[in-house]
Amino acid sequence: MTTPTATATAAPPATPTATRPAERLARLLAAITSVRAPYQAAVFRIGLSGVALAFLLREWPNRHVLYGVRSPLSFDLAQVLIREERTFTVLAWGNGGLWFETVYAATIAAALAVLLGWRTRGTSVLLMAGVLSVINRNTLVGDGGDNVVRIMVIYLVFTRCAQVWSLDARRARRRPKLPGLDPVGPFLWVAALAVLVPLSAHPTRGWALAFWTLWAVQGLWYAANRWFPRHEARAVLDAAASMLHNCAMLVIAAQVCLIYATAGWYKIQGSRWQEGSALYYALHLDYFAPWPALSGFLAGSTLTVLALSYLTVMVQVAFPFTLANRKVKNVLLFAMIAEHLGIAVVLGIPFLSLAMVVCDAVFLPTAFLIALGARCGRLTARLRPPALAGRAAPRADRVSS
Amino acid sequence: MESSSERTAVRPVSTVPPQSPPPPGPDDDGEPAPPARDEPRRWSRVSVAALTATAVVLVCALVTHLGMIFLSVAPPNALSVEHGDAVDAYVQPEFGQDWKLFAPNPMQRNEAVGARVNTLAADGRPHASEWINLTDRDIETIRGNPAPSHADQNMLRRAWDAYIATHSVTDDRPKGVRGTMTGDYLKRVVLQRIGRTLNGERIVSLQVGGRFTMVDPPAWSSEQPSDTTDYRLLPWWKVTDQDYRSL
Repeated sequence: MTTPTATATAAPPATPTATRPAERLARLLAAITSVRAPYQAAVFRIGLSGVALAFLLREWPNRHVLYGVRSPLSFDLAQVLIREERTFTVLAWGNGGLWFETVYAATIAAALAVLLGWRTRGTSVLLMAGVLSVINRNTLVGDGGDNVVRIMVIYLVFTRCAQVWSLDARRARRRPKLPGLDPVGPFLWVAALAVLVPLSAHPTRGWALAFWTLWAVQGLWYAANRWFPRHEARAVLDAAASMLHNCAMLVIAAQVCLIYATAGWYKIQGSRWQEGSALYYALHLDYFAPWPALSGFLAGSTLTVLALSYLTVMVQVAFPFTLANRKVKNVLLFAMIAEHLGIAVVLGIPFLSLAMVVCDAVFLPTAFLIALGARCGRLTARLRPPALAGRAAPRADRVSS
Repeated sequence: MESSSERTAVRPVSTVPPQSPPPPGPDDDGEPAPPARDEPRRWSRVSVAALTATAVVLVCALVTHLGMIFLSVAPPNALSVEHGDAVDAYVQPEFGQDWKLFAPNPMQRNEAVGARVNTLAADGRPHASEWINLTDRDIETIRGNPAPSHADQNMLRRAWDAYIATHSVTDDRPKGVRGTMTGDYLKRVVLQRIGRTLNGERIVSLQVGGRFTMVDPPAWSSEQPSDTTDYRLLPWWKVTDQDYRSL
């Protein structure tokens, strides 16, 4: 728990009475069974689904050529690739145009649902299945951005990412006393059978088992809420889910650190990074120069190239170690987000860059995120028609007061 | 309302301590019933045992997972060489990753993929075409586009890379099943761009080639700019209707 994810909710302060072992155990349990970093999880959820959504919409005109019926990687060739790589994709089950459109559209819908935080427990699983299916249909057109998203959507499933800034949270807030009266959730849960049962007829390399497990856990949760909401077992389930969330957030944070560590440490060994000319070469690659004049201008300044090349390596190598110090970490975080936004434009790889910004956002301080949320709340309240704004405004204010 | 919200925007942070717990209630539609935050919840013995066991299992899973990922991205070492298969079996394909972006060195050459074809006129006379620079078309599309498509930025480039990685340099022999697949794939990627006919004549065979141009070193560098351009020509491929299936 030494990562920045722990910054969100501090452990209950130790009091002199906490010296007794039983007391200490109770405090430890309380510390690890509460949801850590709910705002970071929410911003991760919104960012990741947003990137996936933007990508799917951007490729909408090219979807058939990239992943669908018109792909040069024909259905038969894709089968070879999928067998070789042992990947999971539901698009391997049928070659029909309708099947493809359904999967692609369902993935877009799932991304939108996760973005809004609607029934996140289920829709995040749907998003994972959809994103993996689309990307794995043709891994030969992917890049680092697809790689990040592909891994992170799996981690997202294990987080309680809709605790704040979501429709789920709003629903829980509006009727906290009537959990048994929500028919939509159980209905969707039963409806999921329509997907799960046919799915089990296909070879999935263990994925079917994973989906059934997730489905069963959700069922257990509904059962607990319906039949023994006051029982301690229900609280144990809640606590276990929070622990799983905390672990998932740790894994996400560690994964991001591994990305930077790998990228940075391997760069140190390269002669171009040592002499500070790496950026110059990167700016001269035709495929990554959507604005040649801008690339040329940047590459023409020896000092800029040198400074940015060195800074890139330093920041990437240093980042994991700065987590021990909040202030230094935040400064580096700002630098990295700025660099990724710059790369998005200059090298023309916005989805890869934005995916990395989302990863960076996991480390943002809670206070900053709360302030950001309040600002967004006020902004949406202002944009809404007056009749609705009257209702929404107090909510936005409550966040900040 | 506008002005008051502007004022609160100045220092909303100070009013909400970062330690504030998340709003009550799980993310599902369940009942919130959170334990009192200031006083830790008193769990029964059974619950303590269950939660402790869960914690132990989760921590073990966490350590295993991160250890495996670490070994998969670290350079070959004493552990990963010996247990490479186990690491691969765990990590691939779901968590497979490669973050050596621009490392150890960025690409220092531009690759252009082109193709030329032999066509057959209606009267049966054969024609050989000039080289068609397909990468140029990609770059043309990417220019001025804030969000280039994978179809323009990755498809041809990576199809070529995949072919090169899975074929022998000397005689273009495919390495394994994957080699055959990448060969067919590259052929179809190129054919999709060229079409069935050229100048109204049917395409009967195709040759794909790559041209590699080194980026000139920066002005301050003492390195000599490369004055040669490398080429790699793939063998001629026969083109049949089958190759165009559902393109």
